[in-house]
Amino acid sequence: MLYSYNWLKWYIPDAPEADKLADIITYHIAEVENVKHSVFDKKEDWILDIKILPNRAHDLLSHLGIARELGSLLNINFVDPTSKYKIPESKPTKLKITIDTEKCRRYMGRIIRGVKVGPSPEWIVKHLESIGQRSINNMVDAANLVMFDCGQPTHVFDLNKTSGELIVREAKNEEELTTLDNKELKLKNYNVVIADSKKALAVAGVKGGKIAEVDNNTKDIILEIANFDPISVRKTAQYLNIFTDARKRFENDLSPELAPHGMRELSALILEMCPGAIFEDIVDVYSQKQEERKLLFNVEKISKILGANIDVKDVTNIFKRYNFFYTEDSGIFTIAVPAMRLDLEIEEDMAEEIGRIMGYDKVKPKIPGISFIPKTDETYAKISWARNQLLSEGYSEVMTYTFCDKGEVEVMQSASDKKFLRTNLSDGLKESLKLNSANVLLLGMDTVKIFEIGTVWCPNEEIHVSYFGDTMPKPEEMKLEDYCKNIPSDVSLSTFHFQPSTRRFAPWSLFPFIVRDIAVWVPEGESEEKLKKILKENATNLLIKEPYIFDSFTKEDRTSYAFRLVFQSYDRTLTDAEINEIMSKITNKIKDKKTNGIGWQVR
Amino acid sequence: MNEESKKGTIHPLTLLANQALQVFSELGFEIATGPELESDWYNFYVLNFPKDHPALDMQDTFWVRDPEGESATTGKKVLRTHTTTVTARAVEKAGIDGRMPCAFISIGKVFRNEATDITHEMQFFQIDGTMVGENISIADLKGVLTHFYKKMLGPEVEIEFRPSFFPFTEPSLEVFAKFKGKWLEMMGSGMLHPNVLRNCGLDSSKVQGFAFGGGLDRIAMIKWGIPDVRLFYQGDLRLNQF
Repeated sequence: MLYSYNWLKWYIPDAPEADKLADIITYHIAEVENVKHSVFDKKEDWILDIKILPNRAHDLLSHLGIARELGSLLNINFVDPTSKYKIPESKPTKLKITIDTEKCRRYMGRIIRGVKVGPSPEWIVKHLESIGQRSINNMVDAANLVMFDCGQPTHVFDLNKTSGELIVREAKNEEELTTLDNKELKLKNYNVVIADSKKALAVAGVKGGKIAEVDNNTKDIILEIANFDPISVRKTAQYLNIFTDARKRFENDLSPELAPHGMRELSALILEMCPGAIFEDIVDVYSQKQEERKLLFNVEKISKILGANIDVKDVTNIFKRYNFFYTEDSGIFTIAVPAMRLDLEIEEDMAEEIGRIMGYDKVKPKIPGISFIPKTDETYAKISWARNQLLSEGYSEVMTYTFCDKGEVEVMQSASDKKFLRTNLSDGLKESLKLNSANVLLLGMDTVKIFEIGTVWCPNEEIHVSYFGDTMPKPEEMKLEDYCKNIPSDVSLSTFHFQPSTRRFAPWSLFPFIVRDIAVWVPEGESEEKLKKILKENATNLLIKEPYIFDSFTKEDRTSYAFRLVFQSYDRTLTDAEINEIMSKITNKIKDKKTNGIGWQVR
Repeated sequence: MNEESKKGTIHPLTLLANQALQVFSELGFEIATGPELESDWYNFYVLNFPKDHPALDMQDTFWVRDPEGESATTGKKVLRTHTTTVTARAVEKAGIDGRMPCAFISIGKVFRNEATDITHEMQFFQIDGTMVGENISIADLKGVLTHFYKKMLGPEVEIEFRPSFFPFTEPSLEVFAKFKGKWLEMMGSGMLHPNVLRNCGLDSSKVQGFAFGGGLDRIAMIKWGIPDVRLFYQGDLRLNQF
């Protein structure tokens, strides 16, 4: 989620500079992907993209959440905004809300009459735009602002487009609903909707419906601040293929205890924007109250998990900053888990909490010694033996793709069109041999010999060995066990035979290469090196391999050396004409007396 | 030509895998292997992935069509998304065989259902390991992984551990390496979640342990400067340079 630094500063005015803050977040909370500097209306801001982890989505997918965490972490002032929200005077209401499904834990509703829909105040537009959200109208903006501020998704219905009461219920099979963005949905009976006495108005926790949409003529509204079962929201949204910020929050589970804060904030915002509106009483149906939880842990266990000495004082120091209620008796803590911290369940969670707050750099690394006698894994031993065998026979190792377009085992969905698991290695090797044979001159090999050891499914999973060469009619392929029939019984794995290399990878060109042979008569006794040097010096940097001597013979008092030259460019397809030019330059050089003292003859 | 030059060339991932396995073998780890097509139990649920939870979104999974239809008893099959499956199987077996403490290392092919580009491939290799005992801690995890990356990338490399989240570890840490002046995300790690230990048949009040896992291709790309992960699986011998 994107966070505005200035927005955070409302709540933590003493926060360090944005870059420093980003580092603190990365080392103690979650990774900051980037910090973007922006100038908004002549005011500087920094936008932090923080990758909130799934276990903290409950409380940190909001400016207030991150600010509260940072206030405690850094032990700096946290300005709680709650008391600043104006509470509107309210009148009795006739709003009736019924929760008819276990998948809704709480539903708070409120009717507000006489609102004026229009553009939002400047500060709201700026806040939303700073984190990449578009301003729509004051009602929608207020709802969005509350979500990005405190993490509670909300919704606003046009009261006069609804009839009767609000019912939270499971959808009927094939029940229809058109979303705010005009998507026509056919619902399933495990989807949850907010409905009136006639029709579904919204998909609970996922997306609002067109039918009760707030528009420019809307006068009276119903606010929705609710809490839904995370699995239900996730299943519904997956089925409907809808991604919304509300879904993201609900499917990660939210505390129903957050709802009153959302209602208070949203009401205050609407009061600010529509001072003349008439607020009715809040209707709060809280059918599944969140239980207060206690968590017990031993500070010794925390030390044992972290491998560092944590004492009672370290822990109490943290809890004071985080405003945790706790009792402690000889190293055993009992804490009242804050309602928003759904992630704190077991002792190990507290090890993480204490570890990350202190910083994992405080844990000193050590190399453990354990009394464990490793055994040899048979499959690994066979693979290693087979590989060494093939390498020593001159076969080179390749790896090809597991996926192909026909086979006996099929994946259900794939990002690619190859949906089957291979039944053999041979098909991949044939392709590989074709590719490598075309490049045989680049590889500096006389013949190409390749192998692969890998898994196939026919349809049961098997490890195969296959090898192939350009002097063989077809690839050989067999099961690993069959290849290893003659494996010595005492095969030892202690002989890892590799030599780690620190060389850098040399990329290859994707353009075709051109080969030219040149044969030269030199006086008998003249070494090939001199000729090779002339070739290298004049062949330009398009020569991508050492000149390779493939023939030499002596007749009378002359020796003929034949060299092969391979030309290739990294950025274009070479033309015959430009290589001809290089070759004639080389020929002229060789013939020239100045080059070698005599003037050699090119055959 | 002499005997030596007739020898075939080795795939760089094999070379690197052997090097990595040697480092861990020297620290007392046992090499383990396991199937590439796994049950959803070993790929997810033994590892404390809750059903229908957003944590599953962290993995783009290839589910396999069962020719006999889905059956409740065998569960669904997936191409393993990590070799933590091997770790889980090995730890479970070590528990049954009474081999505690224990330490396992595995390197194997894993699969992710995502669009490919220079840093993403549908198949790649993962290195995954664990050590379980009475007092195995994050200090040990830090020691082992720091040693490993210094062996792989050179003694000058710096290693850092930052907070993270994985369903199968608690606490969870992300491992970063500073290589040629840049911090790079290397692998996930942490202390095995007590639910995982229990799912593997161990008594989580008696033993604890660390686990880690990350891409081998990524280490190869960083170490040798290989620009595109897809080059590993083209069957092109020009890759075998090391």
